[in-house]
Amino acid sequence: MAPQNRKLRIGMVSPYGWDLPGGVQAHIQDLALYCMEKGHEVSVLAPVMDDDHLPSWVQSSGRPVSIPYNGAVARVAFGPVANRRVRKWIQEGDFDLLHLHEPAIPSLSLLACWAAEGPLVGTFHVSAPKQRAIYAVGPILEPAIEKLHARIAVSQTARGTLTEHLETDAVVIPNGINVDAFANGGITEEFGNRAIGFVGRFDEPRKGLAILLDSCERLVEQGVEFCLVVAGPGDSSSFLEGMSARLRERTHFLGRVTDARKREILRSVALYVAPNTGGESFGIILAEALAAGAPVIASDLPAFRDVLEDGRAGVLFPNEDSQRLAEIIEKVLNDNERRSLLKEIGRERARDFDWSVVGESIFDVYRLVSATGEKVRLGSELRFNRVGRNP
Amino acid sequence: MSALLFVLLIVMLVMVWYLSFTATRLDRLHHRVETSWGNLDAALKTRSALALEIARSNLVDPATSMLLLAAAHVAVVAEQSERADAEEELSQLLLSLLEEKALDSDGEIFRELNSARDRLRIAITLHLEAVSRTQAQRKRPIVRIFRLAGRAPLPVKYPFEEIQV
Repeated sequence: MAPQNRKLRIGMVSPYGWDLPGGVQAHIQDLALYCMEKGHEVSVLAPVMDDDHLPSWVQSSGRPVSIPYNGAVARVAFGPVANRRVRKWIQEGDFDLLHLHEPAIPSLSLLACWAAEGPLVGTFHVSAPKQRAIYAVGPILEPAIEKLHARIAVSQTARGTLTEHLETDAVVIPNGINVDAFANGGITEEFGNRAIGFVGRFDEPRKGLAILLDSCERLVEQGVEFCLVVAGPGDSSSFLEGMSARLRERTHFLGRVTDARKREILRSVALYVAPNTGGESFGIILAEALAAGAPVIASDLPAFRDVLEDGRAGVLFPNEDSQRLAEIIEKVLNDNERRSLLKEIGRERARDFDWSVVGESIFDVYRLVSATGEKVRLGSELRFNRVGRNP
Repeated sequence: MSALLFVLLIVMLVMVWYLSFTATRLDRLHHRVETSWGNLDAALKTRSALALEIARSNLVDPATSMLLLAAAHVAVVAEQSERADAEEELSQLLLSLLEEKALDSDGEIFRELNSARDRLRIAITLHLEAVSRTQAQRKRPIVRIFRLAGRAPLPVKYPFEEIQV
């Protein structure tokens, strides 16, 4: 048995482009920094668009390629070049364990999962509706998923997807956030003290901004005093056209904001509203809003219910019901006592998502799978070895 | 008087002949559309079958395998209403895979896939031509007034036929 506190060499694989925005990449980066802070060695293999400014601990597998997959476009890596680099990276890395993110997506993590043997950990981020082709791709996925010594799902929703599609179970460990950064950020006065916040790609319909705007129109009609702050990338013109003049003058579209600015907004709003209508696997923004001390109102998606502990740490409204949302906003906005209570409970809840907690849970998994001291190596019978030989 | 009747009879006969001529022509065109669609359908199925075979053959990396399996499977099982989208997705996928050199061009099966794609391109051209001609004929007033097309459905083009395969 290897000692529990030995330093590990950890290899992490990202299926998506490292320099493209995305929750999975952000999670891997935070996790890698956490591991290195604890004195472990980390190497991340990822597709990379632009090799400049790459941290020394990230290795490129080549450029990501846009490809139609499961009815959407995915930017992933595949093909003989990527496959060779994955094997070389595994062979030369001398890793104590590999942490593969999204190994069920046809990209690097799947390649690594096929090629490697030894202590493998897989994290499943997405909760996807059932894939049309899941029965067909089963023969590829099953042997790969079987090789994972431990499977992690980022939420109960993601775990449900896993049990339903791949008939396998997983430990639930949420995504991590840096609570202190959110709890101690700056505060701005520019939006007054009755601001409602919304952060995200607001022109994606599933983010639900249309529902929030509908509720705000109702509030304007009832003469409720507030202002609306929308931060995130997207095209605001179609929304602005549809708004009444009175709502338009109370609404600030800020566009894409920096992390520091996002923290400042979350720290300064009187309310944070997450009207998402579906497709959320975790909802990291809720955890961030809680950590920043913003009282949260969210639609009752399963992922949000989990983060808000069924309504204890924030207020839930029936999904897509803008009338109920308007009523709740008005009530919470006018009830200072309730808001400070929500603030207090929310901050306490956010601690559960701090990297100190989440990272420790992930390390428990790492310790378990690496306990035998076995190293990661290339599989003995590489089923696809002919690719490697061809020029 | 009898001369006028005679002329009228001739005109009538010519008209009847012309109507029957146009109807026959239209029938031939409908038949051509059916045949060309049959060929196109067969070419699409061959392509999907080859894609599935490659995906299961161990000749490509697992990520490529999975992409091929997913797209080809969806194309094979697609309902008529989803078929066009599914075939278009498979076309785009194959193009990207070829561009990334994920499909090795040496093996026998890859040559088969390439000739299947060539045949598919020809089948699409022939089918589109048959459809355009039939559509043009069906728009003529004489065809519409005398209902020469009968109950034959108006042939349509699918978007997937217009993109590169």
